[in-house]
Amino acid sequence: MRSLRIAHRVILAVPVALGVAVLAFFSLHLLPGDPVQIMLGDTDASAATIRAVQHELHLDRPLHVQLALFFAQLARGDLGTSIVQRRPVAALIGDALPATIELTAAALVIAIVIAVPMGLAGALRPRSWFDRAVLSTSLLGASMPAFWFGLLLILFVAVDARLLPTSGQIDPTIAVPRVTGFVLIDGVLARNAAAVGSALRHLVLPALTLGVVVAAVLARTVRASMIEVLQRRYVTTARAKGLPETAVVVKHALRNALIPALTVIGLQIGELLGGNMIVETVFAWPGLGRLVVNSIFARDYLVVQAAVMLYAVTYVAANLAVDVAYTMLDPQVEAT
Amino acid sequence: MKKRTDVVLAAVLIAASLLLGTRTDGARALSFVLDTTANRATEAQAITAQLGRAGITAQVRVWQLSALIAQVQAGQRTAYTTDWGSAYFDPYDLAVPKFVTKARGNFSFYSNPIVDRDMAVASSTPNDAQRKAAYADAQRRIYQDAPWAFGYVLRNIEAQASTVSGWVPAADNSETMYPAGVRGGDTVVVGLRNDSIAPLDPGIPPTDREAVLRNIYDALVGHTPDGKVVPQLATSWRKVGPAVYDFTLRSGVRFQNGDPLTADDVVFTFERVLTPGGISGVSSTRKDLLGPILRVQKLDPSHVRFVYSASFPEALVLQSLVHFQIVPQKYVQQAGEQGFIAKPVGAGPFRYVRGALNSEVVLERYDGYWAGPAKLRQVVFRMMPDPSSRIAALLSGEVQVIQEVPPDLVDRLRASPNVEVKTAEGTRSYEIEFNTKAAPFDDPRVRQAVNYAINWDPILRDIYHGYATRLSTAFLPNGFGYDPTLKPYPYDPAKARALLQDAGY
Repeated sequence: MRSLRIAHRVILAVPVALGVAVLAFFSLHLLPGDPVQIMLGDTDASAATIRAVQHELHLDRPLHVQLALFFAQLARGDLGTSIVQRRPVAALIGDALPATIELTAAALVIAIVIAVPMGLAGALRPRSWFDRAVLSTSLLGASMPAFWFGLLLILFVAVDARLLPTSGQIDPTIAVPRVTGFVLIDGVLARNAAAVGSALRHLVLPALTLGVVVAAVLARTVRASMIEVLQRRYVTTARAKGLPETAVVVKHALRNALIPALTVIGLQIGELLGGNMIVETVFAWPGLGRLVVNSIFARDYLVVQAAVMLYAVTYVAANLAVDVAYTMLDPQVEAT
Repeated sequence: MKKRTDVVLAAVLIAASLLLGTRTDGARALSFVLDTTANRATEAQAITAQLGRAGITAQVRVWQLSALIAQVQAGQRTAYTTDWGSAYFDPYDLAVPKFVTKARGNFSFYSNPIVDRDMAVASSTPNDAQRKAAYADAQRRIYQDAPWAFGYVLRNIEAQASTVSGWVPAADNSETMYPAGVRGGDTVVVGLRNDSIAPLDPGIPPTDREAVLRNIYDALVGHTPDGKVVPQLATSWRKVGPAVYDFTLRSGVRFQNGDPLTADDVVFTFERVLTPGGISGVSSTRKDLLGPILRVQKLDPSHVRFVYSASFPEALVLQSLVHFQIVPQKYVQQAGEQGFIAKPVGAGPFRYVRGALNSEVVLERYDGYWAGPAKLRQVVFRMMPDPSSRIAALLSGEVQVIQEVPPDLVDRLRASPNVEVKTAEGTRSYEIEFNTKAAPFDDPRVRQAVNYAINWDPILRDIYHGYATRLSTAFLPNGFGYDPTLKPYPYDPAKARALLQDAGY
């Protein structure tokens, strides 16, 4: 029964992705300027040349025809070819995606490692000085613009203290054969310790920049739901049974308190995808966020449409995964 | 108590503005919207404040660049900050597209038949003195007609680690790494200002990626950093008729894949640009850069002939050829467009190793380069669109050369002992263009008045920290035909008021 419902949700993701692609298509075409004009910049070209190129790229067709062309291509499993970069869109996204997944995963790990102990400690002694510190730090973290925090990190950690690199994904003098596209994994596969070390060092600052914002929101959620759970009767029962306090907190309380936290993580994955665009630009990280930003500015329609579809699917999938995880943490919740 | 004084003050201000706005003599006050982009918003604010002192009301509106350009081209805006770069060190690529009637860059819709004729003469006559005279005449007419509030040219501010030797910034932002070396190593990382560069196929329109391109490829002729033309793959050239030029190719040149470079490669390079749909079914938008070209033909394996449909001055032929890097015919045909983009091959000093256009491109020394191998073993171009990130990376020693240092951050770099800031005269004019086809700027007196009402000196001093030079028109001091005797409009608010009064304001 559960797997049927999951399948249902997966199938529903398809119209969501297509709908988002249509929205992206029309909003991009609402923006003034077209890729050929933007590519040219202030290079002189005659109107006739520009018209010829626009025609060859189908940019002079009516919008509904362009949209139909896009869907016809999509139906054949072809995302098209980038107007600006002249490479298949699928290849461009395939190149950029691993970097973004690596960054997002690292950010999530950092967020969880920071947020869960913080929220837990705060909840165990509500209104103590530590709890207040947790609350005010997380408020600061959530209100801080990511790019600003990133620049501060670059300034103090990378420039002044020279502890970590300011930008990029790996030292440019290190070449790692591309197998999975994930620089860290490829480094491990090549048994290249220098590459793995360099990749990890490059990962810290951008992941921290992204992760801190998520950690701030997450810590507050963990704290609030933990306080609530600790007042539940089953916690009192557990204590009355004479269980050690650690077992009460970790086994009985925390597990239940993490359910709302999971929802927040699921929602934050969407935030992370958006946050990537800024953080990847600041740290010159070669990921999807940067590809999308570049493509929007260049009006590289097909790349943006494909990426937006991918975002939509990811978002749906993340929320689905959260729902599934619910049922594992709490058997009372049915996957709906 | 404080609140009440605020209210009173506001009321007084409103009353005052109403009184000033409705003059008793019935004359209108000049008021308009000055459209700009985020990078020049501060400048625009300063300008409108200055205009206020001459009785002109202007409001700043900030746009995204491509949105503004689209509105401007549709004739829907009144006055707008714009800029235009020249790749030619000749007005042919700046004043001509900006001022000739209906030219692609003519955002002011300026049209003066005499200027058109001057520009046509300067673009076709082989005689340099005649060209100079035609440009001189055009400059004075444009100055008088004032289709723009003429602006300034910015210096290119770039910086390097002190360990780097032999590198200088170029006027056109190209980064020639061939002569460069680095103490204590053999790799230089260059932080480019681009967020992404176009594919490394010289036939595809440039989005500011020649910095990388010119290290992989050579053209028939090249530029020195200050814009002089020097031989590259061609050793000499000869004019055999008013519209015919013959080039002698350097002998013994090999592409990075080992193929010898011959006249066939040169002909192929230009044919794929000139043939409609010549690059995988898409036409090259670069062909108009070549002027009135008809065809390029092989005379023998080491000689090629360029035939134009009309007389085309030698200086322009050479300036245009700098931008057309020679590609290997056999390799491009075998690899196909996709293969060529994935692994470009040229005859330049560095060969392509790996990279991604929106992150970094790694090049390695080509030992068979015709002028001898470069000093550096490896050059890495890293896309770093954020200026603070570029500066941070230079200060931390991760990159050794960076492009485009914002003028207000120069002092921070100068304070560091391990870094040197270097500048070059730029090739980009920054200005305010007027829509000369619509009121109020269809009247030259109003346009002149705005020119007199702007005091550029404090703007260039405080916003651009002195890294800018006033322009009297759009002719650049480092370009051909520049007339140094034509002085920029002086700051003269009284004259501005007089002109406005004359025009009925």
